[in-house]
Amino acid sequence: MKKYIPFFGCMMTTKYPHFESAVRKTVAKIGMELVDIDGFTCCPDPIYFQARDKMQWYTIAARNIALAEEAGHDIITTCSGCTATLSETNLALKEDPELRAKINIRLAKIGRQYKGTIDVRHAVTVLRDDFGYDKVAATVTKPLDGLKVAVHYGCHLLKPSHVMRVDDPDHPTILENLIKAIGAIPIHHEKTLLCCGRACFNEEIPDKMVLDILGSIKKVDADCMGLICPTCFDEFDMGQIIRGRKHHITLDVPVIYYFQLLGLAQGMKPEEVGLNLHKVKVDRIFKRTAVGA
Amino acid sequence: MAEAAKQSAIEKHKLNFAFRDRLNSVAEGFRHNYCYQCGACVADCPASMYSKGFNPRLIILKALLGFEDELIRADSEIWNCTNCYTCSERCPQEVRPVDVIIAMKNICVAEGKAPALVRNISDTVLTDGITTRKTSVTERRRQELGLSPVKDYPIDEIAKILKD
Repeated sequence: MKKYIPFFGCMMTTKYPHFESAVRKTVAKIGMELVDIDGFTCCPDPIYFQARDKMQWYTIAARNIALAEEAGHDIITTCSGCTATLSETNLALKEDPELRAKINIRLAKIGRQYKGTIDVRHAVTVLRDDFGYDKVAATVTKPLDGLKVAVHYGCHLLKPSHVMRVDDPDHPTILENLIKAIGAIPIHHEKTLLCCGRACFNEEIPDKMVLDILGSIKKVDADCMGLICPTCFDEFDMGQIIRGRKHHITLDVPVIYYFQLLGLAQGMKPEEVGLNLHKVKVDRIFKRTAVGA
Repeated sequence: MAEAAKQSAIEKHKLNFAFRDRLNSVAEGFRHNYCYQCGACVADCPASMYSKGFNPRLIILKALLGFEDELIRADSEIWNCTNCYTCSERCPQEVRPVDVIIAMKNICVAEGKAPALVRNISDTVLTDGITTRKTSVTERRRQELGLSPVKDYPIDEIAKILKD
């Protein structure tokens, strides 16, 4: 059976290990076999490190991909930032022999080589393409009946679409289908596809974006926000508390990583997937619905 | 207008094609040449929606005309790009404005004209191998969850591959 090398990245490893744990436990039930390898570094991040020096960014990413090539399996990512860096580098190096040659001169110094033999995909894409929504649904023992999940795609699962090739970037369906597969109700709102704004240096811009997205979720009366990226999570969980204080408002929109929702649907306890660790309390989802009963 | 002020206004908006060459030499920077100023990148740009000063079409125009002083600086508007890639989706010319903006950020860093935050954050990849460092609770939490401890990152390998 096909095996996958997980690339959890730094944010999930150090700051949100309960997301890593949720991914590991849930995909195992679906039959996705993960093979851990040693030696990965930061992807490196697509905002600050790419801004620093794109060639260095490609090189470090290519080293990470080369390690997985040596082990002989595709990489699955669980953070949209890592997905962006590794997918973009993988495609650029596959398609541009000149660039690949330049990067390989650098990698040769440590006895490594990028060959272009594997794929990099976000875990949700692998669930859809290699397993299917039905296989996900088949692992559900406690469907999240009636739970209204406001979908937040974030940018780098879908865009740039010529790199990601996951879904229509303007009319995606993958997250909606994965939410349906666990018995919950995906909710669209005005700002479903808006960026979290994390990369902007002027803080006022992401402030307004985050408040607009959360406001748009309040309008449609969803129970929580569902997303697939730890950076977006940071912006909407801790970021919600900070911006609430700054603007003297209480937003109270629980934010949940998709694999935590999947874990609940597979019968895991809320603490088992780390829901007790969120800054914005998630208890209201249990009060309003039969989830967790 | 006083003669000196007039002169400086002219200087400020003098075409500077040397900048075009500079931008062409950075990864993905050459794409700015394809721009025909249609403005398709603007309408759905979230940074434009939420900040009046940000306009990807004008950023590319300034690059074409070589308004280097406005673009290559730590407080340049380019630093407010969200990196969302919507402009790349809309662009009919494959300019990929976000990639051109990243190329200009690379020039800012090379010339010491980037916000300090860029170097502060990206330096941790070289010193620690990661961007988000461990906190005091990381290992305890990983242990509670049954996850393996965080391994040392091979920063010696990183140091060797950064340059040609």
